[in-house]
Amino acid sequence: MKALDLFGGSYADFLRERYPDILRATAEHLGISGISVAAGCIVAIPIGIVLARHPIPWLQSVIFSIANIFQTIPSLALLAILIPIFGIGTKPAVFALFLYSLLPILRNTLAGLQSVDKSVLESARGMGYSAAQQLWHIQLPLAFPYMMSGIRMTTVYVISWTTVATLIGAGGLGDLIFTGIGVNKNELIFTGAAAAILLALLVDFILGNLEKWVMRKTGTTKSDTTISY
Amino acid sequence: MRIKKGGIMRKRGITLCSLLLVGLSLVLTACGSGGKKIVIGTQNYTEPKIIAEMYKALIEDRTGLTVEIKPDLASSKVVIEGMRNNELHMATLYTGEVFNGYFEVEQTKDREKVLQQAQQGFSEHYQLKWFDPYGFENTYAFTVRKEVAQKYNLQNVSDLKPYADTMRIGVDNTWLERESDGYRAFQKTYGFQFKEAFPMQIGLVYEAVANEEVDVVLAYTTDAGLKQYDLQTLRDDKQFFPPFDASPVVREETLKEYPELEEIVSLLIGKIDADTMTELNYYVDVEHRSEKEVAVEFLRQLGLLE
Repeated sequence: MKALDLFGGSYADFLRERYPDILRATAEHLGISGISVAAGCIVAIPIGIVLARHPIPWLQSVIFSIANIFQTIPSLALLAILIPIFGIGTKPAVFALFLYSLLPILRNTLAGLQSVDKSVLESARGMGYSAAQQLWHIQLPLAFPYMMSGIRMTTVYVISWTTVATLIGAGGLGDLIFTGIGVNKNELIFTGAAAAILLALLVDFILGNLEKWVMRKTGTTKSDTTISY
Repeated sequence: MRIKKGGIMRKRGITLCSLLLVGLSLVLTACGSGGKKIVIGTQNYTEPKIIAEMYKALIEDRTGLTVEIKPDLASSKVVIEGMRNNELHMATLYTGEVFNGYFEVEQTKDREKVLQQAQQGFSEHYQLKWFDPYGFENTYAFTVRKEVAQKYNLQNVSDLKPYADTMRIGVDNTWLERESDGYRAFQKTYGFQFKEAFPMQIGLVYEAVANEEVDVVLAYTTDAGLKQYDLQTLRDDKQFFPPFDASPVVREETLKEYPELEEIVSLLIGKIDADTMTELNYYVDVEHRSEKEVAVEFLRQLGLLE
């Protein structure tokens, strides 16, 4: 294929020869990203729910400020700062990326829950729904698209940031990119970057379909929500 | 969702400010490239950075040239390409680099022959003058904790063979990919591999092995970490690694343009042995002194600078 002649006609050979390494790096990359975002969801979503139910303005701004600070620290700096605590390898990488994922997920969860029309909740209360039932049957389904968009955005960012994790021994697709730079092999750089892009697109696609499936199952459609983008 | 305040006037103001900023930065960049400047490129570890500071001090002291140092380039290969593209004029390189795929070479481990090939080859193909060595070698060494060396009676790299499949190894970011002296070639020569290999920034390997996060690392022999963490290097009994004697390398065109540089560069030839280089690295990496301070102090001791 002419396109594969980019790197001197041997890109196809390169792929064939190195695909175990490429797959291994992709698996590591997915592992680090996946665990970080999952942990971020597990922590941020409940906090978002609690803050929505019991709005305490000062607490909300403290939590948001802390999460915001984690977002602003340059990713490599955060990784390096965590080394004395977690050592090198995947542990500090996962923890750093988990801290990154908190803000977007938290913010979207909270905004989603808060955007549910008060009158809808009023009528639910009138119909005898308890607070927990309101949450589970009304607020969460309606807030779900908003939460999902936070999760999808975060996942794409985290997949991208995971590429620097190789510098502290965590592996991932950054291995291919940084090694490629060091040995001046463009096919490695390109493959590492392309794999990260494809991974992000694929995960975004899957999460998008998951979102549609959940909304179908809970009987909500976009027009039911009062959230406009 | 958000109401934009100010409308069109605000938009025009922002556009104007951005254009001014872009214009200003273009002007400033143009100003920077006016003077006579030598650019020294260094790899991403301390040793070449100290030497670069030495040359900066010497050149700026003895000529009217200014020197800019571009640190932390990803590898010697990037440095050589930078010199080829005239983005760098000088660097410190190691003779073993000659086997890393630049031009046809004769496979040999003989120190003199390798230096000759580096000097001839890089002049012919890259128009770079590879000077005679400073006096030290910085090569790769498999390194373990002292207790581990004693426990398994490890003195040579071959002694690792029976235990290697249970050992995790920490290496720099390029060793796994290098053709002639990398992991693949290593496996052919020594006939074994490790359980798992972790590439990382070279500065981290010493702490990693000292803290038992990995069992063996591939260190650089003049790095301070060996001394700092009291680690044990193993003898390369199969002579797998080529010699890596360090030399200054300068673009031939730069030497033609500034002939006074030749003498200045030669000032450090034969003046730095391995123990001295390790000590200088130690001052920077462990005692946290600046490369510049250590370089200047060393030059003063040699009487090359007041």
